[in-house]
Amino acid sequence: MQKDMIALSRRNLLKGVSSAAVCSGVLGALAASRAQAQDITNVRVLSVEDPFFFSLKAMLPDFEKETGIKVELESLSYDALQARLVSAFVANTSDADVIAVDQMWLGQYLDNGWIVSLNDHIAKDPDIDLADFIPEVLYSSNMWRGQIATLPVAAYAQGVMYRKDMFEALGVVAPPTETSDAWTWTAYIDTLKKLEGKTFKDVPVFPTVVCGSQPSPIVHMFTQISASHGASWFKSFPAQPWDFEPMLSGPAWEKSIEVYRELYRLSPPEAINYVWFDAGTRFAKGDIGMFYWWTPYFYLIKNSGYMTGSKSSVMDVYATAALPKAEGIAQTISVGGWSLGVPASSAKQAAGYAFIKWATSKATQKKMGLWPDLNYQFSDFGRASLYEDKDLKAVYPYLDVQYRMMKQGNGKVTRPPVPGYTALESVFGLTLNQLLTGSEAPAPALERANSLFASILKGNFMIPYQKESYDDTLDGAKALIGKLANS
Amino acid sequence: MTTITAHTPVATMTGRRSFVRRNLPYLLIAPSVIMLLVLIAYPLLFALRSSFYFWNLQIGPEPQAFVGFDNYVQALNAFDFQAALTNTLLLSFVGTALEFALGLSIALILLRALPGMNVVRALLILPTTIAPIVVGFLFRYLYDPGGGLLTWVLTSIGIPIPAVGLLGSPSTALAAVLFADIWQWTPFFAIVLYASLLSVPEEIIEAARLDRASAWTILMRIKLPLIKRTAIIIVMLRFMQLFNTFDTVLVLTRGGPGTSTRTLGYSLYEQGLINFNIGLVSAMTWITVLIVNIIVALYVFFAFRNEEW
Amino acid sequence: MPSAKSSLYTILTYAAGLLFLAVFIGPILWFIALALRPPETAFAMPPQFTFTPTLNAFRHILVDPGTNAPQLVNSLVVAIGAVLLNLPFSIPAAYALSRFKLRGKKNIMLWYLGLLMAPPIAFLIPYFVLMNRIGLTGSYLSMVLVLQTMTIPFSVWLMKSFIDEVPAELEEAARMDGARWYTIMWRITLPIVRPGIIVTSMFAFVFAWNNAAFPLVLSARSTATLPVGTLGYFATSGVTWNYIAAAAVVAMIPPMIIFLVFDRYVVRGLTFGSVKG
Repeated sequence: MQKDMIALSRRNLLKGVSSAAVCSGVLGALAASRAQAQDITNVRVLSVEDPFFFSLKAMLPDFEKETGIKVELESLSYDALQARLVSAFVANTSDADVIAVDQMWLGQYLDNGWIVSLNDHIAKDPDIDLADFIPEVLYSSNMWRGQIATLPVAAYAQGVMYRKDMFEALGVVAPPTETSDAWTWTAYIDTLKKLEGKTFKDVPVFPTVVCGSQPSPIVHMFTQISASHGASWFKSFPAQPWDFEPMLSGPAWEKSIEVYRELYRLSPPEAINYVWFDAGTRFAKGDIGMFYWWTPYFYLIKNSGYMTGSKSSVMDVYATAALPKAEGIAQTISVGGWSLGVPASSAKQAAGYAFIKWATSKATQKKMGLWPDLNYQFSDFGRASLYEDKDLKAVYPYLDVQYRMMKQGNGKVTRPPVPGYTALESVFGLTLNQLLTGSEAPAPALERANSLFASILKGNFMIPYQKESYDDTLDGAKALIGKLANS
Repeated sequence: MTTITAHTPVATMTGRRSFVRRNLPYLLIAPSVIMLLVLIAYPLLFALRSSFYFWNLQIGPEPQAFVGFDNYVQALNAFDFQAALTNTLLLSFVGTALEFALGLSIALILLRALPGMNVVRALLILPTTIAPIVVGFLFRYLYDPGGGLLTWVLTSIGIPIPAVGLLGSPSTALAAVLFADIWQWTPFFAIVLYASLLSVPEEIIEAARLDRASAWTILMRIKLPLIKRTAIIIVMLRFMQLFNTFDTVLVLTRGGPGTSTRTLGYSLYEQGLINFNIGLVSAMTWITVLIVNIIVALYVFFAFRNEEW
Repeated sequence: MPSAKSSLYTILTYAAGLLFLAVFIGPILWFIALALRPPETAFAMPPQFTFTPTLNAFRHILVDPGTNAPQLVNSLVVAIGAVLLNLPFSIPAAYALSRFKLRGKKNIMLWYLGLLMAPPIAFLIPYFVLMNRIGLTGSYLSMVLVLQTMTIPFSVWLMKSFIDEVPAELEEAARMDGARWYTIMWRITLPIVRPGIIVTSMFAFVFAWNNAAFPLVLSARSTATLPVGTLGYFATSGVTWNYIAAAAVVAMIPPMIIFLVFDRYVVRGLTFGSVKG
């Protein structure tokens, strides 16, 4: 007992000393976090962990050498980024000088004055070469009410990927690389059906793969089909007058759901839980015939696993093709991606713009595309000239196809970037997910979603629309680009 | 001195009764209460006020309109409310019960103090030390329908798993989410119950054995009553944590397929941090707080009825 | 006196022990293996149990600039800070609740517990607004403070149960000798209940360390913790499973080490073995 007490007290002493050390360490750290130096020679960039992030990060030394400005680049997951940004905006704190903005957030960020318009910067800038950006991309992702608030660092459209070797071996005609009236969703499904029940290299083939997970992935993938079929979310948007009466009914929506259901039937059953990358990863594993998805998958599928830099089994045996359209309806392709903007709360507006200009410039984007690490993982160019670039074409042979998809893009129709979009997407994603698993007819499910849409939109004061409408058209966007480029 | 009395005589205070002396216990409690009041009352009052406003952060940084009880009506009528409530109650009740039962069984086996079993006991606690979000990732990996270890093990021993994967089928997804939680928290029950059972005085058990009481009788009549207090508390703690389940759901299923794994916690996350509908999420917060309060109050009333404090 | 029956029991007990290890520790080892294996073998079917281990994933998250090393430090600062701040609030309260007759003691205890019922996820935005008003947004202190809503109620309850179990005779004896309440608390009760404090601190540390919700919105770039970092590898265009696993393994290590190293105290604390002696 006596011995124990001595031992205990010695331990005590040690413990006391060490806890005091820890204590002072913590206090020191606490103090340090409060006193962050306001260094004018640095710029803080808050990004999302999408493929462009890695090649952009690799280019940073160039920017630092050119400008002498140090870059603190941080990446977050999509959820964390949105949570962080909205909280920071509401609190009006300066968390970053440049932020990655999803096209869906642009309208609300700009309407609320959370990010600044870049119009003035661009107009005064002689060498931004604004006219080089693909107008469909700027229109879809960067413009709101006549303001260019962001510039695209990674622009996505959607396209088809298929297995050349499998199609050849099974005698199936390869899909075309150009949009044509013959290449319809019906033809797409007919092609897939030819792969049904087949085996290739001793492995049973699944004709295709879709995303079934709610809310965002399934909505991202499904809305491509509905946009192709000319279905629109609202009575009148984006052209004026804006009227957000939901329109989730009628043959275009019902047909789209039938198509998507058929695609799911032709997919591995576990696709019901697939999120974005699961579909791509599955294709890269080798037992899928053909699927369509965002264009970054044009290069992501050549690697096994994301960011591993090692080649996948389909690396040399896949090709890309045009996205199917609907019979007799002009094609509309989903355009999305990530853009960079400057928060209004940042004290370094000019440095922020300088970084954006550099990151979206022709030279930087080309270098990102030619960055060999991770087996070349960046071809999400927002600039038209890069699709003509010989060096890039050698690395990414599908650039022609991708460009043709971009040119038919309209992100404002496929997924309207309106306030309250995420709430609509939750409801819609859930409805679609239930439609995939259940046997309910499309019409009543759509009707249910439509009435939920109506109550969400009324709750958000979108019906009746109280603010001023804006005639948001591609032609208007082109005119604005012309004006800013020539001033 | 081996008998542990659960309760101690109250200190008698004699002598000069100064203010400090008179109010000593309250003064000792005060700092923690004040600290917590500030930290808890603020969000609760914030939520109470916001719950009567329409306020979508995506539309503007200030509340946009007074709407009375609209948010409560909307929350209760939400398309997913019923599913979320049912799933949450299922998760919390079934989860707590199974974790307790499994934990107790493990604890009883550990009590057979055989050489080497100490190592098992020491390692057993490890799942409980892992962040729930990491457990979510771990099980997403194990459940993978294509290359998950658990998928492989189950298929190899002849247990069929749905083609859509354990997380993909509405009939198994909730159970799969629950299993991840059971995996993580059964050891917690096991270790705590083991430790409490260890403290049951050997003499009492010996005496019962001499009276030819069966092992079952000893467990039910002697051991469990003696650790009742510990058991009541850990069951309550676990229930409340389970009731707020959200991170594992976020990583594993995002509430799907359909609404089959949607919990109140996940709905709160979705409305708050994805849709940023502060008014609605505030109303949901109060509804959730009220529900769990009622359940726990009833539990406490019955469980602690005969307990001295 | 080994009878046939008891040796059967012995065998069954060991079998159960092995089963426990397989079920509860196996998945952890499998996850560690994920962090160490070549990425392309991660989803091999049937699973590959042998592979050439590589430290690439750990090198990426710990050594490559701009990844998780600072977040590891941040996690430590936040968790230790939360524990240290928690003790001076919870120990006196636990002592008072255990040792004194209080009007409404039951209600006070319940009140503490009631706080644990609040869904933390619903409080994130109010907390963000609060921290902004008092100018603490993004600081370690904001997370340390908010974590008290979990650590204080938990610690008060756990500590009280430990103090409850200290035989009153010891204090009674000291009181007879004329010792004051604070002398008794400081010199007699707290030393005996030290294992309880350690156990309480350990649990509080683990709670704080593992909390992912608060840092999600309360941390800034420079103060983000490891669970937030782990989520970062769960991106829209791909899950970097090896990096997730590596970051997760790093996040697992401190709590695990604490529990294994202090194992003696876990049992002693929970059983109050120190009273025997």
